[in-house]
Amino acid sequence: MPKVNNWQLGREMSYPYEARFPERQFAFVFNINRCIACQSCTMACKSTWTFSKGQEHMWWANVETKPYGGYPQSWDVKILRKLDEANPDGQYWEGKNSDKTFGPYGEFKGKTIFEAAETRFEPESSRVLGYLPSDEEWNSPNIYEDNPLGKPGVKNQLDQKGTELPAHDVWFFYLARICNHCSYPGCLAACPRKAIYKRPEDGIVLIDQKECRGYRKCVEACPYKKSIYRGNTRVSEKCIGCYPRVEGKDPESGGVPMETRCMAACIGQIRLQGLAQLNEDGTWAEDRQNPLYYLVHEAKVALPLYPQLGTQPNGYYIPPRWVPHAYLEQMFGPGVGRAVERSKHPDRELLCVLQLFRRDNRIIFRYEIEEGPKIYEGSYRGRDVTLYNDTVIAFGHDGRELFRTTVEEPLYVRSNVHANSI
Amino acid sequence: MPYGEPHPEDPHELRGVTVPGDAESMREMAYTFAEEFAALGFDQERLLRIFRLPGYAGAHRAYRALGEIEIQRIVRESLEFWGRCRIVVREPAPEQGSGDLIQIGSRSAGRSSGSED
Repeated sequence: MPKVNNWQLGREMSYPYEARFPERQFAFVFNINRCIACQSCTMACKSTWTFSKGQEHMWWANVETKPYGGYPQSWDVKILRKLDEANPDGQYWEGKNSDKTFGPYGEFKGKTIFEAAETRFEPESSRVLGYLPSDEEWNSPNIYEDNPLGKPGVKNQLDQKGTELPAHDVWFFYLARICNHCSYPGCLAACPRKAIYKRPEDGIVLIDQKECRGYRKCVEACPYKKSIYRGNTRVSEKCIGCYPRVEGKDPESGGVPMETRCMAACIGQIRLQGLAQLNEDGTWAEDRQNPLYYLVHEAKVALPLYPQLGTQPNGYYIPPRWVPHAYLEQMFGPGVGRAVERSKHPDRELLCVLQLFRRDNRIIFRYEIEEGPKIYEGSYRGRDVTLYNDTVIAFGHDGRELFRTTVEEPLYVRSNVHANSI
Repeated sequence: MPYGEPHPEDPHELRGVTVPGDAESMREMAYTFAEEFAALGFDQERLLRIFRLPGYAGAHRAYRALGEIEIQRIVRESLEFWGRCRIVVREPAPEQGSGDLIQIGSRSAGRSSGSED
């Protein structure tokens, strides 16, 4: 297999094709600390793209409760287990966190899903380690996630009064997911018909519906299980990154690049989506005032989901602050400690950038901060804190201002004549 | 989770696994939600609503576990710092001749944050 650079793993890795990178890369950051599982994103996607016959089981966007949930059920547990079987006790990271853009979390010494496929006794056509979920695993998203099985001693029966089910008492968090539009997609690598491709303009991964014959190799290979087979058309489908919106061709957009439906619908304001500039080797080009670049490569509070799988996913997460780090490190890599510490005690710039989330549906390409006066100095939960009256300004693709957030309360003077109007 | 009882010999069957835990994690989660949304400009009433409404399952789970009084205390403490300012989002005035080009939602020139609920 050819060798490609994977900056998230800090090393080269095997991939069935030579590396090719788009002009810009679709990417997003989800702040898990704000997700309250309202499922608005899930339904926004469902009502836009997967409401037709044969798509009933398809949830291109979903929110699952960790650690027990998953759609399809146990997707991450199963692929991690298969990797562990392929490389027993060998799935670990080495080195330290750094400020580099290549290998910022150290170096992954284990095997990716592409490398593990080389060493296992698999059919020659299998280029990617994976598995095909059963129908049962697809058809009940969220079942048993927030509550354990039915009452003790009662088999094969849900509790008749769901509200009385005991809940998990320790910890949990909500993981919102869409296709990661990976730089090295497992689905693309596995497709025997080369029906899957990355768009050169934005890196969105699509399945050519005319070329697909429904072999389901992509369903088997995508470690995040975001390629899904449709029985009545006998082809596979996946998240399309709402590309008409990203292109600015959605009727609502007026020609301006817009964020996807799931982003726009987010009640918890956890989501920020954009387009990252890439270098020739696939690393992110320095774009200091792009909010995604800042969160991923400057503040380093946003981490890739299961980077050890090797697909170089372009979805990044600000990890939940209340969850044990051992679990988070398995999910987001060794950068967790640094990311949690920084998001727990955000500096002045990070506070401003976090205000950009969901203030507008148009894609933000650049931000600027106008520093304001200090408005508070004191302590909060045993730590010295300072608050400034800063303003963050967001700019669109053409350099024009989209909006600005400020902490000033606007003053409206009511007219003497119309006292109830402003 | 499977519908039937797990078969001990089936390697594909997920069985119960233990995860590391900390009794304080529920309180930490409640603080996190309170801080995040207070920083977005939510006031006390709207913050408490997030915890009280069962539809917001995560926050409500903390509310049920910790109780109304403790959640109120956490919200007050978070607002003591984060509630000192109210975030306002402003859009630039539309340029001449472009007023009919972009119409996104029904936003006014100045608006308070987080008005979706």
